[in-house]
Amino acid sequence: MTAPPPRVRVTAPRSTSRRVAATPGPGDPSTLYVRSLIRSQLRVAVVAAGSFALVLAGITATLALVPEVREFTVGGIPIAWVVLGAGVYPLVLLVAVLVVRAADRNEERYRSLAEDS
Amino acid sequence: MNPVVGYVSIAVVTVATVLVGFFGLRVSRTTGDFYVASRTVRPWWNASAIGGEYLSAASVLGIAGLLLLRGEAALWFPIGYTAGYLMLLLFVAAPLRRSGAYTIPDFTQARLESLPVRRVTSILVIVIGWFYIVPQLQGAALTVGITTGLPRWAGAVGVAVVVGVVVAAGGMRSITFVQAFQFWLKLTALAIPVVVILAFLPGAAPGLPTEVALPVPPPSSGAELYTTASLLLALLLGTMGLPHVLVRFYTNPDGRAARRTTLIVLGLLSVFYLFPVAFGMLGRVFAPHLADEADALVLVLPGLLVPGVLGEVLTALVIAGAFGAFLSTTSGLVVSLAGVVSQELFGGSVRGFRVAAIGSALVPLAVALLTESAGLAGSVGLVFAFTASTLCPVLLLGIWWRGLTARGAIAGMASGALLCGGAILVAPFVPAGWVGALLAQPAAWSVPIATLVVVLVSRADRAHLPRGADRFLAQLHLPERLTPTR
Repeated sequence: MTAPPPRVRVTAPRSTSRRVAATPGPGDPSTLYVRSLIRSQLRVAVVAAGSFALVLAGITATLALVPEVREFTVGGIPIAWVVLGAGVYPLVLLVAVLVVRAADRNEERYRSLAEDS
Repeated sequence: MNPVVGYVSIAVVTVATVLVGFFGLRVSRTTGDFYVASRTVRPWWNASAIGGEYLSAASVLGIAGLLLLRGEAALWFPIGYTAGYLMLLLFVAAPLRRSGAYTIPDFTQARLESLPVRRVTSILVIVIGWFYIVPQLQGAALTVGITTGLPRWAGAVGVAVVVGVVVAAGGMRSITFVQAFQFWLKLTALAIPVVVILAFLPGAAPGLPTEVALPVPPPSSGAELYTTASLLLALLLGTMGLPHVLVRFYTNPDGRAARRTTLIVLGLLSVFYLFPVAFGMLGRVFAPHLADEADALVLVLPGLLVPGVLGEVLTALVIAGAFGAFLSTTSGLVVSLAGVVSQELFGGSVRGFRVAAIGSALVPLAVALLTESAGLAGSVGLVFAFTASTLCPVLLLGIWWRGLTARGAIAGMASGALLCGGAILVAPFVPAGWVGALLAQPAAWSVPIATLVVVLVSRADRAHLPRGADRFLAQLHLPERLTPTR
């Protein structure tokens, strides 16, 4: 058997952030850029969450208000079970892919702005 | 049910879990290893581990059981459990990774530069973790009782002891391997029986016609619509505040990787949840008589529909998957609780982590032994509502709003905890109807009120804005390579 690695005394860092960013002043363009990046990322998130909620509400409303829809079946399984039990998941993935792309794009835009200035 | 199948299956999963755990132990040496696996875990491993940790007794057993009991309305549970990760991706994944903190209390303390905030957050994390572990142990009690005939407490005690020991011995690096393994175990354990059952269907017992088994629900009353909407809100927002979920994001190398990992997690969950739903549907068609103990549906159905040895093999498989779920979710929670407790009380030492791990497994065990399970999916749903009302508003506003102050955060967490916790405690004594629905699913009003309290108190407290707020927000949102460093 090989010798175990030497024991080292270890402690968790009590302080929290180790990457300390330089403080940008209020007139600093980087602050402006940072705020606009945060705003555009928030916009992406809110629009995506809102659209997803709207689709779910739409499904619920359609099933409740248009009873004829319920007459459809897929392979003998009622449409409501197909849509809620399986159909919603591709939608979740679609929203997720779009959001990841949009968020990356926002970061790229910030990067090119920050490197220019 | 043949008890030998139960014993063998539970023993194999437990031994496999412990072995995979100790295999990872050899590379686990420093505190960094113990807490977050040194941030070197690859996205697929990490995503599988997140999935493995997240899919609890509620997902593996509870959803199918609830579908058997309530039908179509229960389909919202898996949707909410999955879409919770969508919200996590949208609002917190990348920023939290960039915060550089290990635990939620670390995050709130760094963001708000306040030790009291840290204390309040820690208390909430510990309470949430405990109450999330309780249904896992109750699921274990149910599974052991049904499959082996042993007294039910044996299952809860077994899971608590195994998890406490594995976590205390190995830390999180080994847990990452355990969790990734558990995801694939759970997926296999539900997917293969569904496929085989479907293949055997032509010769199986006659079932109810689908119009009877999957009926069109009667038009829902206002209170029922409220309950569904409130539950969905709780599941969507509660996920991002779960202590064992957040800690996983620190194991990504950077913010973009955190988003990629979440995307993979969403894919894995979307595939997984097809199978509990299939189990629920098959249960409604072929085994409506199981509704007395609906949470056992997944365990019993394969043996009921598939004859002979194959049926027993499938039964062993679902027992393994279910037991894997209790082990993995409990160990994930114990790891994150032990991290928080040891940093609060023992200065973050490895020895403190071990002591805290044992303690974090034993307290919920006591609660689980003293209380009766009220439906696995339902009790987990209430933990989500509590998380959504307390940690979620502070996390969201902490990441996106520079105006958040320490007092605002404390006031919001306290009011959310009181409102949501109080409603959950009072609800069993209130008759059904509008008031009963409002109390039984409080998220739809307790989350907005808690958020409003955070905002209003922070506004009134504007003089005490944390001085580093702008700097910290920049760190959360800027791509890593461009974070200005000194």
